[in-house]
Amino acid sequence: MKTILLHLKNNPLAILGIMILFLWIFAALFGPALLSYNYTEMDMEHQMTTPGEYGHLLGTDALGRDVFARIIYGSRSILTVALMTSLVSSIVGILIGFTAGYFGSLVDTFFLRAMDILMAIPPLVLSMVVLGILGDSSFLSLTLIVSIAFTPATARVARGALLSCKGSEYVDAARIRGESHFIIMFVEILPNTIGPIIVEITARFAYSIMMIASLGFLGVGLQPPTPDWGMMVIENKSIIRAASWTVLYPSLAIASLVIAVSLFSDFVSKVMIHEK
Amino acid sequence: MNLFKRFSQRLGFMILTLVVMSFLIFLLVEIMPGDVAQTVLGQSATPESLAALRESMGLNDPLMVRYGHWAGKFIRGDLGESLYMRGIQINTIFWRKVGHSIILALTALIFYVPLSLFFGVFAGVKAGKLPDSIISFFGLATMALPEFVSGIILITLFAIKIPLLPITSIIPIGETLWENLNILILPALSITLVMFGYVSRMQRSSMLTVMNSDYIRAAILKGMPRGYVIFRHALKNALLPTITIIGMNMGWLFGGLIVVETLFGFPGLGSLTLSAIKTRDVPLLEASVLFITFIFVVSTFITDMMYLFLNPRIRFKGSDS
Amino acid sequence: MKKFTIFMMLGLFIIPTLSLFAGGQKDAEIKQPEAEKKMVIRIAEQVPNLITPGAWDGQAFSLNSSIYDYLIEMDSATGELAPALATEWSSKDGKVWTFKLREGVKFHDGSAFTSKDVQFTLERTQDPDLGHLKAKDFAVVKSISTPNDYTVIITLKESLPTFQYSMTDYNVAMLSSDYDYSKLGESAPMGTGPFMLKKLIPKESALLVKNSNYWQPGLPKADELQIYFVPDIDSSVSLLEAGKVDIVPQISPLIKQRLEAGDGFKVVSPYQESRFIAMAMDREPFDDNNVRLAFKYSMDPEILAKACQGTLNKEIYYNETPIVNKLAQYKDISLRGQDIKKAKDLLAKAGYPDGLTVEFYYASDHPYGKEIAQTLKELTAPAGIVLDLKGFPRDIYLSQYWMNAPLLLTGWGVRVDPSMLLMLAYHSEGPWNESHINDPEVDDLITKIKSEVDDAQRQEYYDRLQEVFFERGTVINLQVPYLVGLSDAVQDYRQPITMLSQLKYAYIK
Repeated sequence: MKTILLHLKNNPLAILGIMILFLWIFAALFGPALLSYNYTEMDMEHQMTTPGEYGHLLGTDALGRDVFARIIYGSRSILTVALMTSLVSSIVGILIGFTAGYFGSLVDTFFLRAMDILMAIPPLVLSMVVLGILGDSSFLSLTLIVSIAFTPATARVARGALLSCKGSEYVDAARIRGESHFIIMFVEILPNTIGPIIVEITARFAYSIMMIASLGFLGVGLQPPTPDWGMMVIENKSIIRAASWTVLYPSLAIASLVIAVSLFSDFVSKVMIHEK
Repeated sequence: MNLFKRFSQRLGFMILTLVVMSFLIFLLVEIMPGDVAQTVLGQSATPESLAALRESMGLNDPLMVRYGHWAGKFIRGDLGESLYMRGIQINTIFWRKVGHSIILALTALIFYVPLSLFFGVFAGVKAGKLPDSIISFFGLATMALPEFVSGIILITLFAIKIPLLPITSIIPIGETLWENLNILILPALSITLVMFGYVSRMQRSSMLTVMNSDYIRAAILKGMPRGYVIFRHALKNALLPTITIIGMNMGWLFGGLIVVETLFGFPGLGSLTLSAIKTRDVPLLEASVLFITFIFVVSTFITDMMYLFLNPRIRFKGSDS
Repeated sequence: MKKFTIFMMLGLFIIPTLSLFAGGQKDAEIKQPEAEKKMVIRIAEQVPNLITPGAWDGQAFSLNSSIYDYLIEMDSATGELAPALATEWSSKDGKVWTFKLREGVKFHDGSAFTSKDVQFTLERTQDPDLGHLKAKDFAVVKSISTPNDYTVIITLKESLPTFQYSMTDYNVAMLSSDYDYSKLGESAPMGTGPFMLKKLIPKESALLVKNSNYWQPGLPKADELQIYFVPDIDSSVSLLEAGKVDIVPQISPLIKQRLEAGDGFKVVSPYQESRFIAMAMDREPFDDNNVRLAFKYSMDPEILAKACQGTLNKEIYYNETPIVNKLAQYKDISLRGQDIKKAKDLLAKAGYPDGLTVEFYYASDHPYGKEIAQTLKELTAPAGIVLDLKGFPRDIYLSQYWMNAPLLLTGWGVRVDPSMLLMLAYHSEGPWNESHINDPEVDDLITKIKSEVDDAQRQEYYDRLQEVFFERGTVINLQVPYLVGLSDAVQDYRQPITMLSQLKYAYIK
C-alpha cells in the first residue's frame, strides 16, 4: 500500500486519471439522484438550448432533453457494460488460457492456432457484424458479444502469465501432494499471476469503453432511449452545426473517461511491474 | 530453422486461417435471425413466392453444399450478386470502395508514420524530461480516443469553426478520388491521431531500450557525438519493433475505417460493410468481412516476413517463439 | 535502413505532389468551353437506391420519376390529373376502362412504347415471384386486352370509379415488355422518361443525361442530372450550402428555418406525409377500446409537433383518422386534448389499474422515426403505458416486424384518392391493414365510399368514417411535411402529391 502511494506521488498524471475515474463512478452511482432533470424528460419550450441557459448546464438536444442529464445517465450504462465485458472476457480468457498453458502439448498448440485464427478478424468488426445481425442489442447481448470478441486476446495473456509460473516449486509441490489440476491452476497458480492479470483487466476496461462507444456510434449498441454516449454522437450529428454541444459534450465525456482509465491502467501496470 | 521453411509454414497457416474464417463468416451470416427470402421480398411476400425464391437462391440445400458453392465462386473472383440492390454484381462496386479505403489508409499511413516516428524518437532521446511527458500524455490521450471522437473534434475545428475542409466526402460525378484529395484529410487525420499515440509510444520505448544498451553507451562514452550515435546507430535498431507494430496494425486500421468512414460518409469498404449489415445484404456482408480478414492476415504475414528479413538475429540464428 | 528513410521521405512528398496534379487536371477541364454550356442539376438524395418500380419500397424519387414515365401524371399546381403516356381514359361504369396511348413514344433503347408494354407492366404486378408492392391493388383487374397498339382495355372484377388514380402511383411506372427487369432493373433501368441513366455507382452517385427523343417537346430543360446518395441530412445540406448540389429533398423543418434565414436558398413543401401510429386491434392490450382511448388521451399533439421540429397546424398536423388534414375529404374534429387522469381511469376500466407495458416497433432510420418514438414513450409514461422501444433499420422493420406487432409507427405516402388507402390499410381484408382493424361499420363505410359515384353522398360517408375513428379507431395520424431545399438558381421545381418529382421542367437560371 505504501509503495502504491509512493508511486502515486511521483505520477501526477495517474492521480489525475484516478480522480476523473472516481468522478465518473460517483456520477454513475449518485449523479442521477442529484439531477434536476431526467434523461428522457423533454423540455419542449427549450429545444436545442445553448449550454447554461434555462437551467440546462450543457444545453438540450433536438427533443429538448438535457444533455448533461443524458451524459450522467449514460455513464451508468457504459461503465456497467465495460466493466462486465472486461471481467467476463478476462475470466473466460483465464479459463481457456490456463487450461491450454497448463496441459501444454497438443491442447496448447491447438489453442494457439485457434486463437491466432480468431484474432484475424478485428474485434470491432466481429462485434458489429454479430450485433447488427441480431439487432435490438441489450445489456446482455452487448456484454456477451464484446466479451467473446475480446477473449482471444485475454486468453493469450492469461496463458503467458501461467507459463511464467508453471515451472515453480510450489506448483511441483502441489502436484506431488496430489492436488487436482483444477486446484493447482486456480488455487496455486492464479494468485501468483494476479499482477499481469489485473494489468490486463484494467487495460481491457479501457478497450471495452472504446469499443462500446464505437458500437453505439455505429448504431448497433444499446438502443434508445438509453442514453448511450456513442449513440448520442451519431444521433445528433445531423444537428452538429445548429447545436454542436449535443455532439461535442458526449464526445468529450467518452474522451475523458477513456483517457482516465488509460492513465489508471498505465499506472497499474507500472506498479505491478515494479512490485515484481 | 531456415527462412524458407518458416516462410512456407507461415503461408500455410495464413491459408488455413482464411479457410477457417471464411467458414465462420459464412456460418455467422447463416444463423442470422429472420429469413433471407423474407427480407428480399418484404411486406408483400406470399408463402408461394417465398418458397420459389428460397429454391432459386439455393437456400434449401444443405449447409456444406452452400458453403462449397459460395467459396468456389469466391475463389474464382465471383463475389455474387447483391441482395439489396438486385441485379448488381458485387464486383462492380466492391473493388472501387476497396480502392478508396486503401487510398485512405495509405494517406493516414503517410501522415502518422513520420509524425509518430519523429516524436517517438524525440521522446525517447529526451526521456524523463518535459517534452517526453508532453508527448507521452498526448500520445496516451489520442490513442485512447475512439476514431469518431477525434473525428468529431476535428470536424468541429476544421469544418465548422473554421470552414476549411468538407464535412462530408462525396466524389463529384465524372471525377475521381485523386481530384478530390481534400476529402481525405479529415478522415486520415482522425486515424492519425489514434495511431500516433500507439506508434510513438512504441517507438519511444524501443528507443529507450536501445539507448540504454551497452554498445550505444559505449559509443557515447568513447566520445562519439551524441547526435551521430542517435541517428547512425540507435535509430536503426530502434525502428525495427515499430515497423512490426505498423504492419500488424494495418488490418486493425481497416477495422477502424468503418467508424471513420461512417462519420465522414466516405465511400469506402467500411461504410459499405455497415450498410450491408443494416440492409441485411448477405453476399455483400460476407465479401466485406472476408476481405477485411484477408487484409489483416496478409499484412500480418508480410510484417512477419519483413521482420524476419530485417532482423539479422532471427535470420541467422533462427529462434522460434 | 537508408532505403527505408528514403522511402518515408518519398511518401511525404507523394500527397502534395498528387494534389498539385489533381489541381492541374481541374483547370484543364474548366478551360473546355462545352462544359460551361451544359446545364446540370445536382441532387443529394438520402435514399441510397434505385429500385425497379414495384420491387421494393424506399426508392429515390428523383431517379425513378426521371427514368420512367407513367400513364397519367398530376399537375403540381392544380392537383388535376394530366395526360402523360395515356392521352385519354374513360369508363362508363367504373368497371371497364379504356386508355388511349400516346403515339410515337420510344423507350431509351429505341423500341416503341405500345399497349403490350402497358399490359406487361400491369400483369407484372401479379407475378408471384416478384412480390410486387401493388399486387393487391391490381388484383381487382380481371383482364387486359389490347385491340391495337395504342388502346388498352382493362376490365375490373368490380366497379372502381377512381381506378385511374392508381396509374399515378410511383410503383406503376411503364416498363418495356421486352426488357429483362429482373436482371437489369437495378443496374440498367430503362423507361421512356425524360432522362436516361448513363452511369450508376451504387451507394454513391448516378448520372442521368437528357433523353433527346422525349415525347414532350422542349423537355427536359436540363442536360444532365447528377444524383448523389448522401445518407445524412446535415451532410446533404452542407453540400447545398457549399454550392455543390442544387436540390436536397427530405429536409427537416429545423433545416428549413436555417436555409430560409440564409441567402440564396428556398424551401418548397410539395406535400405532407403521414406517420401512422397503429394499435393492433386483435391483440392485447389494444383489443380494448378503453386502452386505445387512454393512449390517445395521453397524447400532446403540440409536443409531438415540436419533436418533429415543427409547429402544430403550421407544418405538422395531427388527427386520429386515416384522412390527412389537407385533403378535401377531411372532417374537422376538434382535438381531444391531453388528459392523464382520464387516461388512467380508462386504463383501470380496461383492467390495467397499475398500467401496462407494450412493445413499440418503428424504423429507426426513417425521418422522424426515432424522435416520434422517444417522444411517445415520454408522453404515455405518466398515464401508466410503458413503451418498450424496438427500433430497426427500415428494411428490417418492414420485412420482419411490420404488420405483426401490437404498436407500430410507419411512414405512409399520401394517396391522391383516400379510398385507395382505406381499402389497403383499414378494411378488415386490406392487405396492409397494419392495425388489424376489424370493425363492420368501418368496412361498410369503406365499401360504400369506394363505389359511390355521388360526391356529396361520398363525403357523408367520409365524415361518418372519421367520427368512428375518433370514437374507437386504431390509429393516430401525425403528418409531417415533405420539404425540399433548393438553391435559388433552381427554377420550376415541380413535385405533386403523387410524390414523383418532375425534374423535366426544372432548369438552372
